[in-house]
Amino acid sequence: MKFNEAAVFKWVVIVGAAGASIVAVTLLTRPLVGALLLLAMVIAGGVCAYRWWMLQKRH
Amino acid sequence: MESATVAVGHDHADHHHGPPEANQSSRIDRQTLGILLFIVSEVMLFGAFFASYFFLRVVVDPASWPPEPFELPKAVAGMNTAILISSSFTIHYALESIRRGNRAGLKLGLVATWLLGATFLFIQVNEYVHLGFSARDFSFGSIFYSLTGLHGAHVFVGLMLLSFATIRAFRGHFGPKAEDHLGVEVPGIYWHFVDIMWIIVYVTVYIL
Repeated sequence: MKFNEAAVFKWVVIVGAAGASIVAVTLLTRPLVGALLLLAMVIAGGVCAYRWWMLQKRH
Repeated sequence: MESATVAVGHDHADHHHGPPEANQSSRIDRQTLGILLFIVSEVMLFGAFFASYFFLRVVVDPASWPPEPFELPKAVAGMNTAILISSSFTIHYALESIRRGNRAGLKLGLVATWLLGATFLFIQVNEYVHLGFSARDFSFGSIFYSLTGLHGAHVFVGLMLLSFATIRAFRGHFGPKAEDHLGVEVPGIYWHFVDIMWIIVYVTVYIL
């Protein structure tokens, strides 16, 4: 795993895009829908992180 | 015998001064490792504040959030968010420039980042002045000012780091090699972290 400015910048873009989608959904619908989307993203992110970590362990 | 001992002592002293050198990872330099560990501790600090926020919002004061008649300026804060995210792009541009040996791009990127960060902080302070509630107004006021103030303090620290990096850039420091621009790389990582934290603060406090 790389840890440098370019890698962290990618995370700014990813978190920014996720935040923008939550803002859009919340403003178009209700805060509860936005909160559920946030929860779904956090769970999906956790699953991805776990799978990535297991893959790293195998290698 | 005695002179031989002295000679060996001098020889030893020529090769080594002070304590033994600390071990260093071959994967990551110590400056980057330092900022990584610092950011991990910062994530825990923000995590504690977010835990307080959600506790107050969900458990303690669930009737209305924010309590009547308070209202948060979503549009102004959204504009401020755009400004801060732009500053991540400018510092990335500064670093990409110095990686290619473009000193003018480095200076331009650093100055633009500093100005965008200062604008963010100015708008934040202006927002505080016009909000119409203080940290004494309910648990909402306390946690709102705590979270946004904590973030504002981090922006201020980031601006200080950027000031040093900018002054050094104008003095001709930094070069294209990775070890020659760590003085920009490390504040850049910190600045990105501050941006990511603000996106989370904005979405949870202002939008949801």
